[in-house]
Amino acid sequence: MASKNVSDYLATDDLTILLGLIAATVFLLQTFNKPQPLVHPILLGRQSDVARVRNPSESAVYRNYGTGLISRFPLRPGKDVHILADFVRSDQDLPRTLWGTKISNSALQDRVAAAGTGLIRLAGLQPGESNVLLFLNDCIEFLISDLALASHSIPSFTLTASNLLSQVLESHPPSTIITNGELLPSLLELIYDGGHNTQKYTIVVVGEPSARAMASVASKIKVLRWEDVEREGNKVEKILSPIPKPQDVFTVSFYDNGNGLQGAQFSHANLTAGVAAINSMFPAAQALSRLDTIVSGHSLSTAYGRAIAYSAIYEGTSFATLASSKLFHVDEATVKHDIADLLSIKKFPIPSPTILFIKPGHLEQLVDAILREAKKSFILNTFAWRHKLAGISEGFVTKDSLWDRLVYDGARARVIGEGAGTVRAVVVGEGPLPATVLTPARVALSCPIINTYTHPLVPAPVLASHPLDLQAFPTSNEKEPAASGPPSVNVEAKVVGVSDEVIEAGGDPEGLLLIRGPPVGRQGGVEESYVDVRKLEDDGWVATGARARIQTNGAFKLLL
Amino acid sequence: MSFSLDTPINTALFLFILYSVQRIVFPSASATPKSTPREFKSGYSWMPKAHPPTVLFKTYTPKTLEPFNGKDNERILLAINGQVFDVTAGRNFYGPNGMYGNFAGRDASRGMAKQSFDLEMLTPLDQPLDKLQDLTQDEIDNMKGWIEHFTNKYIVCGRLVENNAL
Repeated sequence: MASKNVSDYLATDDLTILLGLIAATVFLLQTFNKPQPLVHPILLGRQSDVARVRNPSESAVYRNYGTGLISRFPLRPGKDVHILADFVRSDQDLPRTLWGTKISNSALQDRVAAAGTGLIRLAGLQPGESNVLLFLNDCIEFLISDLALASHSIPSFTLTASNLLSQVLESHPPSTIITNGELLPSLLELIYDGGHNTQKYTIVVVGEPSARAMASVASKIKVLRWEDVEREGNKVEKILSPIPKPQDVFTVSFYDNGNGLQGAQFSHANLTAGVAAINSMFPAAQALSRLDTIVSGHSLSTAYGRAIAYSAIYEGTSFATLASSKLFHVDEATVKHDIADLLSIKKFPIPSPTILFIKPGHLEQLVDAILREAKKSFILNTFAWRHKLAGISEGFVTKDSLWDRLVYDGARARVIGEGAGTVRAVVVGEGPLPATVLTPARVALSCPIINTYTHPLVPAPVLASHPLDLQAFPTSNEKEPAASGPPSVNVEAKVVGVSDEVIEAGGDPEGLLLIRGPPVGRQGGVEESYVDVRKLEDDGWVATGARARIQTNGAFKLLL
Repeated sequence: MSFSLDTPINTALFLFILYSVQRIVFPSASATPKSTPREFKSGYSWMPKAHPPTVLFKTYTPKTLEPFNGKDNERILLAINGQVFDVTAGRNFYGPNGMYGNFAGRDASRGMAKQSFDLEMLTPLDQPLDKLQDLTQDEIDNMKGWIEHFTNKYIVCGRLVENNAL
């Protein structure tokens, strides 16, 4: 061809105009169609409010940024909630389902009053003198007895593991034990084995005990049936006790932290603060309400599980617990945190679950299963996965996107069954969550996933990540746990045992985690004779026994 | 019009459109960037460069407190009733040329109580700390008011003990 000169290179024609318009449109689409992050990243860079002063070899004190260092901690979820009985609101009377029972607040209050009266009369309980051991798996009778005993100022004992029963019976023998029918034989066996103990027990049985168990009851043990207790309470005039004060200890939770039996004493104030903390884990626009259904994998015998249950009662949601929250089994049973466990909720007539409080094992299995199902629609999944990830890397995720409708809704429904679409938040606690699971979980579930750190001494999460946080950081190894987030709204935390040189050079403080705040219970059994009472440091800091590293954005990362 | 891309401009535009459409329909598949951005503008998953600055809580004696008077040292500290405050932010008042510059690096308890900024209010460095025993209740309340003011406005960064206590 003849040689071209510059004007030939720059020749334009109609096609150029057309292509130019298309190019401009495509460019604008690409630039401005980026989704807005759910929470501005600038807020995720400052998740804690940090004190300006620190003691030598300690870090500064960290509080949740929303609370701030100056303000007071939130102590209660509502201004009239001071004691346990206030969780059952009299102004809300619509029925909701707790496990298998559809009940309204006023009916619940009646049952609590009847149970309290019945227990005092039939079991001979003395307010302020007797103790009652709740050797129960999670059921509505657990909550009713807890509320009833608390309203009469009778401390209740709970165990966080079944192997602690013999130690507790020896060191803190209760006068009464409330138990399930199927656990009665093993309980009786344990009592007879501890023969030197001449304590007279009264056992209240929920459910049907077998005839054989009833026949083996010794003379010094009195066995009552729960239905009889409630009936007795309904027949007679209700016994009224003085209203307990918020600082009164109403329950002792026994746990083993590796150093032997420990007792955690909780007062009404601890629980109200705990429920306030649980409520504030969710963003204001998605707060707990009567329309929710909470499913919990944490047993009511633990402080955290109890606070979740009371949260559900306070907000008027329906509530049920997973099969794995059953702590006490008739025989040796391995507890598996898997999908079958999650599906065990279907046996309760509750509405479709909306909020899940589960353990890391549950989440990992669930996410694996959903993503495997999604991969079955091979071609669509490649696009869906990439688009979801692109959104998450910009800080945005939603359940209503095109890709959810095409791929993920179907995958979720095949794994969880109908009602998979209602899950709107997942809270993971009681174990480390591997950081590599976070992003796949966000893609698979497309709802806020809150990673928490819990401790047997605190009826609330100690650390809770921001619900709309979708950040993902490179990890050095597979097992590294995800960051647990800043301290919860009414807990302050610091790490001790840090190297001053490292901090002055700008490094991350790393050491033993200490916490303080309204929900933190007191260490010590009721008599403080057998239990190893750790000396509280002055100012009330409690050692959690965990090591943590504090990141520059104020989030804590637990170290394994 | 026949579809020909003879002109380079058309080719360039066409390639650009193809590339952009590919980016829209098939975005990149990694949520984790290779190196963590240190500014929120550089990326969503970012981590701030540094921790918020903190001051170490130290124990001072009158002699070790004195250098922190704004002249020898940038930081300005003063003590009231055994608590040491970092008043560097109030350099206008407590700095060398400030109205209350006498208090910098010294125990200002008596001066705060008696509402006076004279040099007589200060105890010499080698003498024991002022016991404040001859103050009236009014003056003690006044001093407590000042402690309240200082705690809210400045940082409590240490405590003051006798010269030979360390």
